[in-house]
Amino acid sequence: MDPTFLYTLILSATLFTIGVIGVLWKRNAIALFMNVELMLNAANLAFVAFSREFGLMQGAPLVLFVMTVAAAEAGVGLAIFIALFRSRRHIRADELDLLRG
Amino acid sequence: MGAQYLIYGILYVIAVLGALTVLLCRDTVKSALALVLVMLTLAAHYFVMGQEFVGAIQIIVYAGAIMVLFLFVIMLLNMREREVMPWYLRHWRYTAVLLALLFFTLVAIGVGAFGSVELAQARPRPAPTNEDIFGLLMTKYLVPFLLTSVLLLVAVIGAVVMGRRADPETGEEYLLDQEETA
Repeated sequence: MDPTFLYTLILSATLFTIGVIGVLWKRNAIALFMNVELMLNAANLAFVAFSREFGLMQGAPLVLFVMTVAAAEAGVGLAIFIALFRSRRHIRADELDLLRG
Repeated sequence: MGAQYLIYGILYVIAVLGALTVLLCRDTVKSALALVLVMLTLAAHYFVMGQEFVGAIQIIVYAGAIMVLFLFVIMLLNMREREVMPWYLRHWRYTAVLLALLFFTLVAIGVGAFGSVELAQARPRPAPTNEDIFGLLMTKYLVPFLLTSVLLLVAVIGAVVMGRRADPETGEEYLLDQEETA
């Protein structure tokens, strides 16, 4: 087994963990969103590492799909934040509890 | 071989420092720029691994398009507010760090167990070339590949619908906020 494969997996796990902490930590919705992007990047790195280690071809197409979904998500999400900011004058994620039962 | 480990080590340190900056920086703009740094580091990682296509789209799509969108929205909203922490959030953050460290331990144990097991097919095979990747996209993954274009179209329409605002009296729609300029 290639030792750099393990390095890559550990880097991916570290970035994903920092992203998880950030999603639970941040109040600003945009900063929270950026940490979600960090987690998606970590997952992409793991995809590429596994596909390279086992000589599979599926890694790069999956990364392409993840990036497309991330781009769509960023576009719609940031538009929602702009609309929210217009009506509420803030986007603090812990105070946006309109749908709480 | 030693130089390769050095490169991986340097990339690891830069990526983790950048991610910690994203986490700890209060200024959203600096946070976003640190995230650009992390994405460029990951792109360098892909290049070192011999996956040039993924590295290129990482720079173009992520660092180029998505992060510019983020910076644009941060600039547009111009949030300058003091961080006043409610009491419940302070305790919640310690719990969050603890939970995340637990998660990391779990993943590390899994990776360690994975590394100790010699898999039958763990023989290094030639890395996939760009020809393989696009051949797969045009044959086996053709339908998902076409569906992503529909997804992007729907996202663009959704962003426009969310971004504009209707006049409460006339119902007329406009893109710029006229109340603020008046």
